Amino acid sequence: MTKKKEVNFAKAFEELEQITQWFDSEENLDLDKGLKQFERGLELAGELKEKLSEVENKVNDIKEKFAV
Amino acid sequence: MEAQVFSVGQYLGLVNQALGQIPSAQVVVEGEVSDFRIAQGKWVSFDLKDEQEEAVLKCFMTKWQLKVEIESGMRVQVIGSPKVYERFGTFKMNVQEVAPVGEGALQQAYQLLKKKLETEGLFDPSRKRGLPRFVERIGLITSRDAAAFGDFLQILNNRWGGVTVSHTHVHVQGREAVKDIVGAFAYFNALPELDRPDVLVLTRGGGGLEDLHAFNDEQVARAVFSSTIPVVCAVGHERDESLADFVADVRASTPSNAAERVVPSRSDVQYEIETMERHMEERITDVVQAHGRVIERATGSISFILERQKERFRAIQERLMVAGEDWLPLIRSELEGVARVLRQVDPKRVLARGYSLVTVDGAVLTDASKVGVGTHVGVQLAAGSFEAEVKSVNGKGQQKLV
Repeated sequence: MTKKKEVNFAKAFEELEQITQWFDSEENLDLDKGLKQFERGLELAGELKEKLSEVENKVNDIKEKFAV
Repeated sequence: MEAQVFSVGQYLGLVNQALGQIPSAQVVVEGEVSDFRIAQGKWVSFDLKDEQEEAVLKCFMTKWQLKVEIESGMRVQVIGSPKVYERFGTFKMNVQEVAPVGEGALQQAYQLLKKKLETEGLFDPSRKRGLPRFVERIGLITSRDAAAFGDFLQILNNRWGGVTVSHTHVHVQGREAVKDIVGAFAYFNALPELDRPDVLVLTRGGGGLEDLHAFNDEQVARAVFSSTIPVVCAVGHERDESLADFVADVRASTPSNAAERVVPSRSDVQYEIETMERHMEERITDVVQAHGRVIERATGSISFILERQKERFRAIQERLMVAGEDWLPLIRSELEGVARVLRQVDPKRVLARGYSLVTVDGAVLTDASKVGVGTHVGVQLAAGSFEAEVKSVNGKGQQKLV
């Protein structure tokens, strides 16, 4: 029972948001950095979209009795 | 005394006569209204309940006699006359007057507790926590037999995937309910942090105040309040409210709505990701195009320079052509003059006139004093040549040795 997954959706999404914001942060973007950021952004978007296609939700029944 | 035989109708008439002896105007009956209903917009009926003695008085009246708004759960006082209805054999009170006396016991208790918790700050909006945008683990607290369970999971699956739902089966009504729900909150909050759900969802379908008692229970409200995990509470239909709702971080209107509040929809998130992709692409294209324009300007000025050079070259060429046309006849006649002179001094023409050309070792001899007696010279005539030996020079010669 582990909480971490190979791709953490929330983290990847946040990074993508940051990259998108970076593109708006400056008037004159550095082309080299821009291309690197763009590449990373596309990579993240790809991973996120792949995760989106995950359809299964798991349901665990907790057997514990709640005697108070 | 001999027993009298009555028909049913006669007997009930007698009973009603006896009931009529009760001084109805002076008798006020107090109890809690339940099962209040109005039939055909005219006939009002309800039960007047006595909680202590488990007694029920069936009441009947017309809509016109009803001067105040009453509803089930209200505590009221009524004045009326008791009657057995012959046709149905039922005993009812024909109510003349109804007056509310505060709220019904449950309502009253509910309101009192609500006020108490509110004063304590359990509903304070400032302590409400937001939910993580993308939850991975959900703790679901509901009955597996409730429609709410199915509704929640269905909407969850429709909207999102990859989530683990830890479900604790609890009674959502009845005597066990409070104990179960409080236990479930304790269970989830006691988990090690890594195994703890990101959000707890407490839900059940709608119901009357009595059905919802567990969700209005002080212990449950306090369990929701002290949960370190954010809580979404969803009870029944839109209009149903419960104290657990007010305490929860997020109040959802229905179990389905709870699922909507907990997970985003795939299509929304997909759209958002694609919008970000497009935006990045536009920006990077802008940057690339800006660089492209710089290069274009540079190559533009280079080709301008080249063009100017070509232009100059063409102009020069043209001038040369024009000049050439003027000069060529001059050059031609000059050349012809030179050729004429050259032709006149052609040695062959001189030789043809009888002169001869004398050479020593291939060099033309022009001065006789340059050769000595005995020197071999070549003599070139107009036709042919021969070799000769010098016998004397300028009259002075070497004696021939015999």
